[in-house]
Amino acid sequence: MKRSMQTLEFKFERTIPAPPGEVYVAWLDPKIPGNPWHESDKLILNPVVDGFFYWLIRGTPHYGRFTEIERPHRIQHTWMSPNTLGVESIVTVTFKKKGVDTLMTLVHSGLPDDDLAKSHEKGWNYFLGLFPNQFGGSRFKRKT
Amino acid sequence: MNQLTDVLTAISHPSRRAIIEQLSAGPARFTDIAKPFDTALNSVTKHLKLLERGGLIERRKQGREVFISFRGAPLRQVAGWVHEYERFWNTHLDQFERYFTKKKERKQQERK
Repeated sequence: MKRSMQTLEFKFERTIPAPPGEVYVAWLDPKIPGNPWHESDKLILNPVVDGFFYWLIRGTPHYGRFTEIERPHRIQHTWMSPNTLGVESIVTVTFKKKGVDTLMTLVHSGLPDDDLAKSHEKGWNYFLGLFPNQFGGSRFKRKT
Repeated sequence: MNQLTDVLTAISHPSRRAIIEQLSAGPARFTDIAKPFDTALNSVTKHLKLLERGGLIERRKQGREVFISFRGAPLRQVAGWVHEYERFWNTHLDQFERYFTKKKERKQQERK
């Protein structure tokens, strides 16, 4: 049976106060806070093309395969977790020089648009903040 | 398109989000909704149609007037998605940015 599935994509940008080379290295270093490998119950990380990662966090396994490594400009890998429903989503991170800083862009694409992949309850804070009058929550500013 | 896509399309435009915010305070007539916008009325009509397609508004006739009100329920469908992945990456990227900001501050203090 052939199944078609809608996918979603999220894009994030940050200006990091360091040159691209330094930011690139830090993104792949589990000792640096903020990269996805920093906190883990178990981590296997081999950031070379066709290298794999296994990241276990709070009992939830994540797997992926590095598909592009262009030091110090670009890293791309697949991303599978229970929330991707067996689909290989794609994470692409780019590092561009911005003066003395780095414009870092992360795109997470190919996320399956499926009812099973949603966790409704967790999402409510976002809308509680966006529509305080409707839901009685407090407003907060969203960062993207 | 499925309903989730319709809802995401509906909330993807700043004007439509502004309409939702306005309607979250209570139902309004078309002319009230259009008032803050410096655009043609048919543009507002188009935004309302997309909001309606996403199930985020409904029209109710009261006498001669039609009131438009906000429906929050469809947002529950996208809430998990929007939050789950945005929260994850935003949290990590904020932490990553903070690491470098503190590192830079430390370097600057050492130079003084």
